[in-house]
Amino acid sequence: MNSPARATPALSSPAAARSALEQVAANLSLAVRGKEKEVRLAVTCVAAGGHLLLEDVPGVGKTTLVEAIARSFSLSLSRVQFTADLMPADILGAQIFHAATASFSFRPGPIFRQLVLADELNRAPPRTQSALLEAMAQGQVSLDGVTHPLPRPFTVVATQNPVDFSGTYPLPDSQLDRFLMRLSLGHPAPEVEARLLVLARDAATAGAVVEPVSSPEALNGLRAQVAAQRLDDTVADYVVRLAHATRSHGDIERGASTRAVLALGMAARAHALWEARDFVTPGDVRAVLGPCLAHRLLLRSANQGTYTRDEALHLIEEIARKVPAPR
Amino acid sequence: MRQPLRLRLVLRDLSTAAAFASMAISSQVPVWTLVLFALALIVALTGRRPLARAPRLTALLLLPVAGVLYLAVAAGQMDLVVAACSFAGIVAAQRLLSESSSATDGQVLLVGLLMIAGGAALSGDLVFALCLLAFAVLASLSLGLAVVEAAVPPGEPVPVRAVMRPLARGTILAVVGAVLFFILIPRLNWNMGVHRATPGLGTATSGFSDTVRLGGSGTLKSNPRVVLRARLTPDPVRTEQLSAYWVGRTYDTFDGQEWSTIGAAKQRHRTRVTLRPGADKQVYQRIELLPAYGSRTLIALETPAKLGNALMHTPTGDRRTRLQELGGDELRFVDDGLGYSYEVYSLPPGTDTDPGRMNQTEADQLLALPENLDPRVEQLARQVVGDEKDPLAAAQKLSTWMQREYQYTLELSGDLADPLVDFLFVRKAGHCEHFATALTLMLRTLGFESRLATGFFGGERVGEEYIVRAGDAHAWTHVLVPGRGFITVDSTPPAFRANQSLQVLQSLISFYEAIEGIWRTSVVDYSFRDQLDFMRGLSRPPRESSSGEQRPSGPPAGAWWTAGLVALGVYGLVRYLSRRPRRSPLGEATRLVDAVERQLTRAGLPPQEGETLEDVAARFTRDAHPLGPTLAPLTRRYLEARFGQRPLESGERARMLEDLRRALDTWRQGSRSNAP
Repeated sequence: MNSPARATPALSSPAAARSALEQVAANLSLAVRGKEKEVRLAVTCVAAGGHLLLEDVPGVGKTTLVEAIARSFSLSLSRVQFTADLMPADILGAQIFHAATASFSFRPGPIFRQLVLADELNRAPPRTQSALLEAMAQGQVSLDGVTHPLPRPFTVVATQNPVDFSGTYPLPDSQLDRFLMRLSLGHPAPEVEARLLVLARDAATAGAVVEPVSSPEALNGLRAQVAAQRLDDTVADYVVRLAHATRSHGDIERGASTRAVLALGMAARAHALWEARDFVTPGDVRAVLGPCLAHRLLLRSANQGTYTRDEALHLIEEIARKVPAPR
Repeated sequence: MRQPLRLRLVLRDLSTAAAFASMAISSQVPVWTLVLFALALIVALTGRRPLARAPRLTALLLLPVAGVLYLAVAAGQMDLVVAACSFAGIVAAQRLLSESSSATDGQVLLVGLLMIAGGAALSGDLVFALCLLAFAVLASLSLGLAVVEAAVPPGEPVPVRAVMRPLARGTILAVVGAVLFFILIPRLNWNMGVHRATPGLGTATSGFSDTVRLGGSGTLKSNPRVVLRARLTPDPVRTEQLSAYWVGRTYDTFDGQEWSTIGAAKQRHRTRVTLRPGADKQVYQRIELLPAYGSRTLIALETPAKLGNALMHTPTGDRRTRLQELGGDELRFVDDGLGYSYEVYSLPPGTDTDPGRMNQTEADQLLALPENLDPRVEQLARQVVGDEKDPLAAAQKLSTWMQREYQYTLELSGDLADPLVDFLFVRKAGHCEHFATALTLMLRTLGFESRLATGFFGGERVGEEYIVRAGDAHAWTHVLVPGRGFITVDSTPPAFRANQSLQVLQSLISFYEAIEGIWRTSVVDYSFRDQLDFMRGLSRPPRESSSGEQRPSGPPAGAWWTAGLVALGVYGLVRYLSRRPRRSPLGEATRLVDAVERQLTRAGLPPQEGETLEDVAARFTRDAHPLGPTLAPLTRRYLEARFGQRPLESGERARMLEDLRRALDTWRQGSRSNAP
C-alpha cells in the first residue's frame, strides 16, 4: 500500500495548467476520436478532483476513455465490473487470517487505486453501491473499525447504461449527488467510425495507444491550482442564483443541493484553466452547468413517468438563459 | 384578454370615490356633478361598465361638458377652481364606466390625484385629511395589485392574499414616510386659502356685528362650538365653571329696535391699548380666538384694562397684528386671520374702575331714550324701584324683579314694531338681549346712566385652560356708579346665562374641535417657521417653566430622542448599504462591455438572447469570424478586469473601444465589397 504524499502539492501556473490539460486532452483524443468536447469536460472533472458518471449505451468508448485517462496521468487503475452478486468486500478488501502468524491482515480491494472504473454501477445491489459512498466522499475506507486512507489522487469513474434497466438498481439520489459530472459520449460521427475501421484496432487495446504525458503529482498540482482559483463575489452570487432558479422552477420537483452548488463552483474553477485564467467567469459556470446539474435534478415529469434524458438539460439551458449573468 | 381582478377594480373605484369626496366635502361642487359621480360609482361597483362599447363617443361627449363649464366660468357663474373640479369628477365618472385596461386604470388614478389637488384647494379641513389618506391607501393597493396581476401568467390565479400583506406593509411605510417628508422637507407656502370653505363645522356663528337687533334668531344659544380658549394668571385652579363675563363691546344708543354706538373709530392702529388705569390686583389672560369665532373683536374678562401683543394665525404662519379702537370700548384686529391670540390685563369684579375716556356726547348718550318709547316702561320702572336714589341698588331691584316675573325663552315671535313692549307687557318672555335691553332702558327712564354690554358668559375648565363656546354669547347691563365706574348688572335668570346645548354634544364637539385644531395648526398651517421651531425644539432645552420646578440635569429629553432617532436612521442606512450588492469599483469594465455591445449592435451583430460578451467572443472565434481576433483579447481583458481583480487602466477602455471601432469599420467595408 502506497502512503499518499500529504505535502501540499506545488501549484502550477494557470498557463502551465492549461498546457498540461491541453496535452492530456490531445492524448485522449487519440483514443476517443471525434469527442473533443466530452473529453475536455472529462478532463475538467478529473482536474477538479471530482468523480465522473458516464452514461451511455455499450460500445461507444467509455472504458477506452477511462483507460486513456489513467495512462495519460500515469494513474494506477482498477476496473470493477458491477454485477448483481458483487459484495462490498469485493471492492473494499477484507481481513485475511494468516494461519502461520495466527493474525489478521488487511488485503486491500480494487478500490485502493488512483482511478477506479466502476463498470455498470447500477447492476450491483444498493448495499454494494453504497460501499462506494464513503470512499467517494471522504477519500477513505472504514473496515472493522479501522480507517484506511485511499491513495491521492483518487477518482471514481462509474458507467451505466441509460437504456437497458432490466435487473438494475437505479442509483439513489445521494449517490448521484456525489458525482461531479455526468457525461454521455454518444455514437461517434460516421467519418470517425470509418477511420476506426481503417485503423483496425482492437477495442481492448485502444486505451493503451496513448502515452503517459503527466503524473499523479502533476494532477495533484492541478487540483491545488483549481482550489486556488479566484471566484469573484458576483460570480459566486451567479452560481447561487442559478441553483436557486432550479429550486423554484415549476417543472422541477427537487432542485440543486448545496453540494451541487459547491460542485458547480469547483467545476467552473477547473474549467477556467482551459483559458489559462486564475479566475472564474460566468462563461465557465455556464460551460459546466449541464454536466454538473442535470443528473442531480428530480423533475416533475419523472414522477409521471414521461421523463426523458434530455429534459433536464433543456430546463437547465432555459434557466441559464433566464438568469442574468453578472456583467 | 383575461378578466381583470375584481378586488383591484373595486379598490380603484373606491380610491376615486375618496378623491371625489375630498372635493365634495367643501360643498362647493355643484349637485349635478355629485349625482352623476355617485351614479357612476354605484354602477361601477356592481361590476358593469356600460360605456365600454362606445369609449370614443362618450369621451367626445366630455368636450361639450368642458365647453359648458368654460362658458359658466366666463360668464362669472362659476369659480374656475370649482369648474375644474367638477370636470375632473365627470372625467372620473366616464373613466370608471369604461372598459378596464391598464391605460384606463392609470387615467382613473391620475384623475383621482387631480381631484385630491382640487380638494386641497377647496377644503383642506380634517375630513379632507381622511379622504386623502383613504385615496392614498386604496390607490396604492390597487396599483400594487395591478403590477402583480400583470406579472402572473394568464390563466393562473393572482396570489391576492400573499400580495396584500407586503402591500399593506409597504403602504404603511409610505404613509409614515410621507408624514416624515411633510415634517422635515422645507416647504414654501402659497396662499391657497382663497377657495377654502370655512374650517371646521361650517360658517362661524358668533360673529360680532356693529348692532344688536332684538328679535333675531335664537339658535345661537344651543351652539356648543368652542370660540375662545384662555389661560388665566393667577390660575383659579379649582374652579370648574368660571361663570365670568367676557366682554366684547358695549352699546349706548337704542332706536326701539336696534342697539348701536355713537363713538367713532380711532384711525391710529396700535400694538397695545390701555383702556383704563390698572390696579394692584389684576388678572392676566392669554386668550386664543378660534376660527369658529369669526369676528375681529377682542374679547376679555371684565373689566379689561390693557390689551396687546396680538398674533394673527394665517395659513402662512403666525404674524403680529395691530389693534384699532372703536366706539363702545371695542377693540378690533386690523387684519383678517383664521384665529388670533393676545394678552389682556383685567381688573377683577368688585374693583373700583375708571369709566374710561368718554367725551360729552358719549356721556350724554348714557341717558338717551328712543324717541317713541312707550310711557308704560317708565311707569313700570318707577313702580318697581320706588324712590331709590342709588343707581346700583335700583338696578339690582329691577334685575331681581325681572328674574322673578319674566320667563326665559329662545322661541321668538319674529320681527315686531316694538320688541321691548312685546317683551315687557305681552309675552313676558325673551332672551338675554331682551332682559338686558329692558333693564338698561328702565334705568335710563329713572335717570340712571347705563349701557348694554355684549360678549360671553361662562368659562369651562379644560385642562389648564378655560374654554368659551359660541352658545355662551350673552348680553347684560353696565350701570355707571359715580366713583366706582361701570358695574355689571345681569337681569337674565342665572340658569340661562351660559349656553343651552346638550352635554354629550358639547363633549363630542370639544373632541372634534381639539382634533381639528391640531390638524389646522400642525398640518394645514404648518409652515417653514413651524419646521424651524420643530428643529429647534429637538436641539434646544425647553424654556424654564414658570412653576419653577427643578430642571433635570443633563440634555433635555428632546435631544435624547433626536439622538436616538438619528442613530437609528444611521444604523438602518448602514445596514441597507452593507446588504446592497456593492457597486463594483470595476464599474469601468461593465461600462466597457455595455459600449462594446452597443457598437456590435450598431454594426448589425447584436448578441443573441441570453448571450454575454464572453459567449459572443467564443462564437466569433469558433466561427472564425473576421472580428474574432479583435474581440477575443478585448473580452479577455474585460473578464480580467471584471472578475479577476485586474482593473482597467485609465484610457484603456477608450483605446480598446477605438480598436474595436476600427475593426468594425474594416469589417463593414470588407463585407460591402464582398457583397456584389
